[in-house]
Amino acid sequence: MTDSTLVITDLAVEFNTEEGVVHALRGVTFSVAPQEVLGIVGESGSGKSMTALAAIGLLPSSAKVTGSIVHEGTELLGLKDKSFSSLRGKSIAMIFQDPLTSLNPVYTVGWQIAEAVRAHRDISKPEAHAEAVRLLKLVGIPSADERANDYPHQFSGGMRQRVVIAIAMANSPTVILADEPTTALDVTVQAQVLGTLKTALDETSASLILITHDLGVIAGLANRVIVMYAGRIVELGSADDIFYRPSMPYTHGLLGSVPRLDDQGGTRLRQIPGSPPSVVGEHQGCAFAPRCPLRRDICREKEPELRPVTIRSSGVDHVDVVDGEHLSACHFADEVAAMDVASMFSDTSADYESGPA
Amino acid sequence: MTNIDERAARPDSADGTDTPPLLSVRNLVKHFSKRGGAFIKHNVGTIHSVCDVSFDINYSETLGLVGESGCGKTTTGRSVLQLVPATSGTVTFDGQELVDLDQSSLRAVRKKIQVVFQDPFSSLDPRMPVGQSIAEPLQIHGEWDRSSGSDRVAEALRLVGLDPRFINRFPNEFSGGQRQRIGIARALILRPKLLILDEPVSALDVSIRAGVVNLLEDLQEQLGVSYLFIAHDLSVVRHISDRVAVMYLGRIVETGSKADVYERPEHPYTQALLSAVPVPDPRKERARHHIVLTGDVPSPEDPPSGCRFRTRCWKAQEVCAVETPALVDRGSGHPVACHFPEVADVV
Repeated sequence: MTDSTLVITDLAVEFNTEEGVVHALRGVTFSVAPQEVLGIVGESGSGKSMTALAAIGLLPSSAKVTGSIVHEGTELLGLKDKSFSSLRGKSIAMIFQDPLTSLNPVYTVGWQIAEAVRAHRDISKPEAHAEAVRLLKLVGIPSADERANDYPHQFSGGMRQRVVIAIAMANSPTVILADEPTTALDVTVQAQVLGTLKTALDETSASLILITHDLGVIAGLANRVIVMYAGRIVELGSADDIFYRPSMPYTHGLLGSVPRLDDQGGTRLRQIPGSPPSVVGEHQGCAFAPRCPLRRDICREKEPELRPVTIRSSGVDHVDVVDGEHLSACHFADEVAAMDVASMFSDTSADYESGPA
Repeated sequence: MTNIDERAARPDSADGTDTPPLLSVRNLVKHFSKRGGAFIKHNVGTIHSVCDVSFDINYSETLGLVGESGCGKTTTGRSVLQLVPATSGTVTFDGQELVDLDQSSLRAVRKKIQVVFQDPFSSLDPRMPVGQSIAEPLQIHGEWDRSSGSDRVAEALRLVGLDPRFINRFPNEFSGGQRQRIGIARALILRPKLLILDEPVSALDVSIRAGVVNLLEDLQEQLGVSYLFIAHDLSVVRHISDRVAVMYLGRIVETGSKADVYERPEHPYTQALLSAVPVPDPRKERARHHIVLTGDVPSPEDPPSGCRFRTRCWKAQEVCAVETPALVDRGSGHPVACHFPEVADVV
C-alpha cells in the first residue's frame, strides 16, 4: 500500500445535531493508486461527497472526524488550516458539480486561473497569465487568448466546467477529486467535459476520484469502483467486478433499476423497496437489511464487515481476485455473487418506498 | 416553411389503419419576443423556440420527445395544451382543432389532456391535503359529487400504488417518488386520453425512479392513455416510448419508431446524442466510438440559416446553409431532416 497516492483508513465523520448524532461516514477505508480512476457511486446521502470533502479538508468545523487520510506520506487529518491551504489546489484539487458557484463572477476566468497558479508557484503576473491561456487552450476553449479576458457569465455551462478543470490541473496535482462534475450538463456537453477531464489526467498524471450517481459515466472511466450506502463502503472492486459480478444486494438493485440505452425493450426495471435509511442515531446490523430481499436474522443483529468475495466456479471456491481485490460487506456475498437481479428484486410498479406490503 | 409531407409526419399511418391519430400537431411555430431596453421595455428580438414542428400521437401510444435543454421540447408540450399560444400551426386533438379555441371549449378539452410536471415538490400545494389536491380537477370541471367524490379520489390513489388511507396527509409527509405518484393520480382522475409528462422522473433517485417508470407503463396498459413523454434522458425514453422524435434548436430532426431512431439513426445530431450517452457496461462502453461535438448550441434568437445543426455538423456543406432540409423519409423508412443522411450504429 506504500505506493498509493492517497490512503484513507477507518475514516468516520459525525455531526452533533438536535435530533442526535449523524453518522455521515462510518469506517471508510480505501486507497487510490497513482494514475488510477476510482469511481464512487451511491444515492443521495450515502456519504460520497462527504468522503471527498474530508479528503480536501473542507468539512465544516462542527464535524467530528476520526481515522486517517494520508496523502503521499503526509497525514492530512489534524493538519492546520494554513498547511492544508498549501496542499489544497496544489497536490489535491477539487471539481464541484456547479461551475458557476466555483467561479468568482467578478473576475475574468484568466485572472482566476492565474490566481491558482500564483498561489502555489513563484512566477510573475504576465507569466501566470500566459500559463492561464495555455491551460485554457488545453481544455479546449477556442480562441483562448481572447476568452481569458471574459467573465464566467460569458461562458456556457460546459465551458465553465472546463475552466474549473483548467484551475484544478493548474498546479499538476497528484489527486483530483470530482464531485458530480457533469451532472448539471446536457449529454453532448457531458461528453465534451469528460473528454477534457481525460486530457487533464493525461497532462498531469493525476489520480481521479470520480463521484457520480451515473453508472454509465463510471463504466466509461473508472478502473475501480466503490459503492457506498448509509455512510459505509458496501462493495469495492474493479469496474468488471462491480458491473459483472456484483456481490452485494444493493449493487444488484442499483444496476437493475437503471434503464439502459442499449436495451432493445421488453425488460422491466427493478425496484429497491423502501427508502435510504436515516443517518441519525446508531445502527444495528446491516444498514441495507430493511430493504434487502435476502435478509436473515443475522443481518439485523450483526453489521457485516467488508471482506473478500469468494466465487464458486466448477465446484471449487476461490477468492475473486481476477483483477485486484473485490470486497463486499454482505453476510451472504458469495451467495449473492452467484445470483441475478431478477431473482432478488421485484419489477412491481407499486409504491415500494414504505416497504413491501 | 410547410415542407413536411403528410407521410413523413405520420410514419405509422402508412400501415393501413385508417383511425385518425389522437393528437395531430402540424407546422407548429412558437416565437417568444425578447424584451429589453434600459428604461422603456420594448421588443429587442425574437426567440425561435419551436419551428415547424409536426407529429402525431396515436391511441394508447407513447411518443418520446427528446433533446437537450433549450431545444423547445417543453414549449412544444405546453403549446399542445395551449398553455402558451402558438404563433402558427395547428393542434388537432380527438378531431377538434385547439388553436384559437375559446376558453370554455378549451376547458372541456383540457379534461382529456392532463399534464405532469418535473418537480413533485412545487407542483403540489403544501397546505392542501393530498386528497383535496387530487379532487381539485373534479371540482374545476364540475364532476365533483359529494357521495362518490372521495371514492374516486381513493381509487385514484390506489391506481398509482398508494394507500388510500393517505388521503388526509399533507405533501411534506411524502417522499419525492410518492409525490410524483400523487401528481399522476391528480392528472388521471378525470380519465384523460392524453398525458403530457414533462421530465416526470428526472428529479428522482434511481431506485425510486424505476417504480414510477414501471407505474407509467402499467397505467398505459390498464387505461389505454397516450403519453407525450418529454425528457432529456435518452435511456428512459428508449425504455418507455413506442415512437421517438428528436429535437434540436426548435426543430424535429429525426422521428420514427423506437427501433428506427435508436438502432438506425440517420441524422448526425441523433447519432452524436446517442453516442454521448454512457452505457453502464464497462467493456461495451470502453469499446464504443463516441462522437464528440464541438462548440455549443447556437442561440435560438438567431438560429443558423438552412439546417440549424450545420454549425456543429461534420458533414456540413454549402447546401446546408442555404436550404433547410425537410423532415422526410429519405429511403430508410423513417423521416429525417438531413441532406446527407446515413445510417450508423452508435448505441
